[in-house]
Amino acid sequence: MASLITCPHCGVRPKEEFAIRGDASLVRPAPTASDEAWHDYVYVRANPRGRTLEHWQHVGGCRRFLVVERDTFTHEVHSVTDGAAFARENGK
Amino acid sequence: MIRDYYNRNALDEKLRGAPRPPGANHLAIGHRQAVSMVLAVAGEEDSVEKLLSSATEFTGRFSAPGEWLVVSENDTPEGLQRRLDALCSDKAHIVDQSEARVLFRISGPSMRRILAKGIGLDLDPNVFATGASANALCGHIAVNLARTGEDAFELLTPRSFAESLFDNLMTMGREYDLTAAFAA
Ligand SMILES: [Zn+2]
Repeated sequence: MASLITCPHCGVRPKEEFAIRGDASLVRPAPTASDEAWHDYVYVRANPRGRTLEHWQHVGGCRRFLVVERDTFTHEVHSVTDGAAFARENGK
Repeated sequence: MIRDYYNRNALDEKLRGAPRPPGANHLAIGHRQAVSMVLAVAGEEDSVEKLLSSATEFTGRFSAPGEWLVVSENDTPEGLQRRLDALCSDKAHIVDQSEARVLFRISGPSMRRILAKGIGLDLDPNVFATGASANALCGHIAVNLARTGEDAFELLTPRSFAESLFDNLMTMGREYDLTAAFAA
């Protein structure tokens, strides 16, 4: 259930302790990229039914940014990773 | 003369007058403890954790990876600062929090039921054992919760939230006849 998030640092916590900070799958365009690419990056969002990657910040706990992979249809949480670890793994 | 914050407890107004005798479930407000925040330099998290857990003069409370709140019952704020500087000033940033945090010491047989009303943490001793600590929300107030015994907990909260947290805890404990007073 997405109402319980297992923080890698703090353990199982209610969703009230977290702030959702949006899509974590976006890749920042190069500074010289077109206006259209930047517009898409800043404003355009998909609203998928199914698995999504999101940034959740544990504001009521360790205050770390986490990457939560969850299903918007079943509310199942597939994985929770520390944001810094996620960035390292994905070479960002 | 200016009376500094450290000499004036944030809950002076709330606990004015003669205290009721402490009941089985009791909230004691710490008076003079020293509190410091320790932030490990990147890469030194593990060695700072080892140093903190090896000390016997104070207890380190887990806040976040590489970040702890250190509480000492016997030191002055300056004394704790010196102690921590000597221990790990080359590996961590140390910031005095004695005037910025208020310590709530809460104990009694109904403690888990009382805290469960406001804190979304599993307080079963197998999950959150004596000595464990974590940041959490109590109602909407950020606290650091530590278990100091089977039925004894300590909460650290920012000074400006102390009165609200006090009111919250007293409401949470009303059906268990929770009493409150300054610690002796
Ligand atoms: Zn956390």
